[in-house]
Amino acid sequence: MASAPHTEPRIIGPGHTFATVTDKIASLVLQKKTPLGWFVGFAVAFGLLQLLLVSVALLLARGVGIWGLNIPVGWAFAIINFVWWIGIGHAGTLISAILLLLRQQWRTSINRFAEAMTLFAVACAGLFPIIHMGRPWVGAYWLLPYPNTMGIWPNFRSPLIWDVFAVSTYATVSALFWFVGLIPDLATLRDRATNKFVKILYGMGAMGWRGSARHWNNYEMAYLILAGLSTPLVVSVHTVVSFDFAVANLPGWHATIFPPYFVAGAIYAGFAMVLTLAIPLRKFYGLEDFITDKHLENMGKVLLATSLIVVYGYTMEAFMAWYSGSTFERFMIWNRMFGSYGWTYWVLLFCNLLTPQLMWFKRFRTRAGWLFAVAMVVNVGMWLERFVIVVTSLHRDFLPSSWGMYSPTFWDWATFLGTIGLFLTLFFLFIRFLPAISIFEMRTIVPEARLEEERT
Amino acid sequence: MSTPTMPTPPSLGRLQRNGLAFGAVFLLGLAVGFFLDRHQFFRSYLFGWLFWLGIAVGCLGLAMLNQLTGGLWGLVPRRFHEAAARTLPTMAVLFVPVLLGLGSLYVWSRPEVVAADEIIRSKTAYLNVPFFVARAALYFAVWSGLALLVSRWSTQQDGGIDPARAGRLRGVSGVGLVALSGTTTFAAIDWGMSLAPHWFSTMYGVLFIVGWTLSALSFTIVLMARLSRESPMSEALQPGTVHDLGKLLLAFTMLWAYVNFSQFLIVWSGNISEETPFYVQRMHGGWGVIAVVLLLFHFALPFALLLSRPLKRHARSLAIVAGLMLVMQLVDLYWLIGPDLLTQGRGHAPLRFHWMDLASALGFGGLWLFLFARQVRTRPVLPLAEPAVRALVDGPQGAEVVTS
Repeated sequence: MASAPHTEPRIIGPGHTFATVTDKIASLVLQKKTPLGWFVGFAVAFGLLQLLLVSVALLLARGVGIWGLNIPVGWAFAIINFVWWIGIGHAGTLISAILLLLRQQWRTSINRFAEAMTLFAVACAGLFPIIHMGRPWVGAYWLLPYPNTMGIWPNFRSPLIWDVFAVSTYATVSALFWFVGLIPDLATLRDRATNKFVKILYGMGAMGWRGSARHWNNYEMAYLILAGLSTPLVVSVHTVVSFDFAVANLPGWHATIFPPYFVAGAIYAGFAMVLTLAIPLRKFYGLEDFITDKHLENMGKVLLATSLIVVYGYTMEAFMAWYSGSTFERFMIWNRMFGSYGWTYWVLLFCNLLTPQLMWFKRFRTRAGWLFAVAMVVNVGMWLERFVIVVTSLHRDFLPSSWGMYSPTFWDWATFLGTIGLFLTLFFLFIRFLPAISIFEMRTIVPEARLEEERT
Repeated sequence: MSTPTMPTPPSLGRLQRNGLAFGAVFLLGLAVGFFLDRHQFFRSYLFGWLFWLGIAVGCLGLAMLNQLTGGLWGLVPRRFHEAAARTLPTMAVLFVPVLLGLGSLYVWSRPEVVAADEIIRSKTAYLNVPFFVARAALYFAVWSGLALLVSRWSTQQDGGIDPARAGRLRGVSGVGLVALSGTTTFAAIDWGMSLAPHWFSTMYGVLFIVGWTLSALSFTIVLMARLSRESPMSEALQPGTVHDLGKLLLAFTMLWAYVNFSQFLIVWSGNISEETPFYVQRMHGGWGVIAVVLLLFHFALPFALLLSRPLKRHARSLAIVAGLMLVMQLVDLYWLIGPDLLTQGRGHAPLRFHWMDLASALGFGGLWLFLFARQVRTRPVLPLAEPAVRALVDGPQGAEVVTS
């Protein structure tokens, strides 16, 4: 502020040039020695991944009976984890697509790993609907509408089939967007790699990129089109996920507020996960110049705004349950607050209503330690939210004679922890082998790039 | 550091005069209606008043949103948004006749109906006259308080930007938007949803938040396009700003469709007797025709038009679409509350236009525009202390170069 007349907030540390940005980010990948810390982290993640393999193997051998599912709670951890993971992915798409269209320059240093996070989260999410069928090899026939001699089709009125299309489209577009964004950087790595084998590998990924004007022209166009395509997906995927619940008549699920409230919740959870990853990443690799306090502060603001929308959803659910005058709706909210699982609701309110209010204060928004703590609480809170919605609604439905209780088994937890292992394993591999921050986009925000384009 | 005196566009004076005359004529007509059909008078009164109230509340929301986000889309019309918000105390006074007509409007206010209706009886803790009045008082207190506070601090910035005051403005706007969403939601439930006291939907408040913001945005665009023929708005309104307003209009048009369709799909899929009457009522007969009109002209047509980039950058063309949206917001409100006003939530009523509905919408329109124009003329029409705005106005004239 004191030095220069431009009052834009600083989104890159001082003194950076094209060369320093490229050196710094490329060196994370092309360095000779892998840091010891990486091996430690990777080992933990990889260990958890093995737990997933064991859990899934046992599941396929024995069936879904190894989980705690029962009647009436026929849909527990699998759907909770599915929604949790798919929600987390949304922040990546929001950052890469919507913030691009809104010309928010601060997205530049966080979009790459946020998009990677999206892909890995979708991979974890996609696993659950598939494995919860118990016999995934016949699953295609429940999931995909294909002409078959038995004349059996999925129910097109079911949002579960809409999910198949929504999620697979989302995964495809996200992967394309991520890969297209990587191409110029892969070319940079190709050009800088000294090892012949590494050079060839990155060269294949770069698809012959030479950085000519025509390449850039086509590239920018493709990137904008993909951003445009991704934007509705940010909304549509979680809207369809919310329909999974809302079109049913179960009190606690059947609420018209669900679509916008789920979408906001997804972005909320996603930004919490971006913070969870970004804060250790920048500390460990010394990236404070690229992922600045300004970035963290902005993400804190997004966290606050989306938490308020989520709280709006909770308020409307509770108020309308009472206002409806319906016995079942009123019992649902009473049971949610004071029933057998009542404590989960209050913990959920602590995580998602109280904790993010810290983000009103700049003091907390700009301290990485506080933000990390808040983000971890939100991660837990958003998982609990889905637990509350799924389990407390199902376990007390209309008929008291069909009430039941649900408790997760060891294998429920093992599968869930295992997907965290899968997610982290992929993420560790990603930061080791690909540039976690977009090199070429960072080059556009260094002072050198600001030529005479101040004119409008 | 002297603030140059800024001309007030002459058309605002005309708006004020014509608005008053226009409003007086139609409201007088509406007043005559009171002696012809008292029940219809209150129905029409609520309809017309609620529509224009929505624009004022929506403008308050846009004013506070822009304090948080910045951007020329809200800086250029900032003084107009604030002026619109300052009409809220008067709109509160105009709510009094609704209170006098409670019995004609809301069945839950009639003890004999409540006594015979078990469902309404179970909600009397919320749906009762004293609490209804107290809540309305609270909504207006919050809205008027925010409008006056934000306006005052924002106007004070004209004498020189004070960072501390700017910080306070942001703080008040952040908390204010939360308060505004909450009060708008419950106002929508009170004044709209409780017309049919059995029916409920958790999305209802969102429909009004989105609808009122859309109305305010459309009003802004129409106004800016009209004023862009005169100084100083002719310099201040750049194609880039118009483009941003156009993008916002497109976004809110889609959001409107999204929330309405989501509610519809969930109610339709659920297919339970507590909820479906709302759509059964609104999808048949004349109300069904209005539903199709809304689908086509509140969403399909403006959506298709707003995809065009040249249209979004051209103020007059964009204003035509925004004008259509304003009319459609009026139709949407008629469709949302109209059937329940006629049936009071019980049974069916075929679509029936009444001349008083039109008189009320036009009369309140004239009156509100008068109030609005009067408020606008009390302050400079542009926040000239804002560097971004100053650059727009000073730039072409080259009078002074802003250096700090």
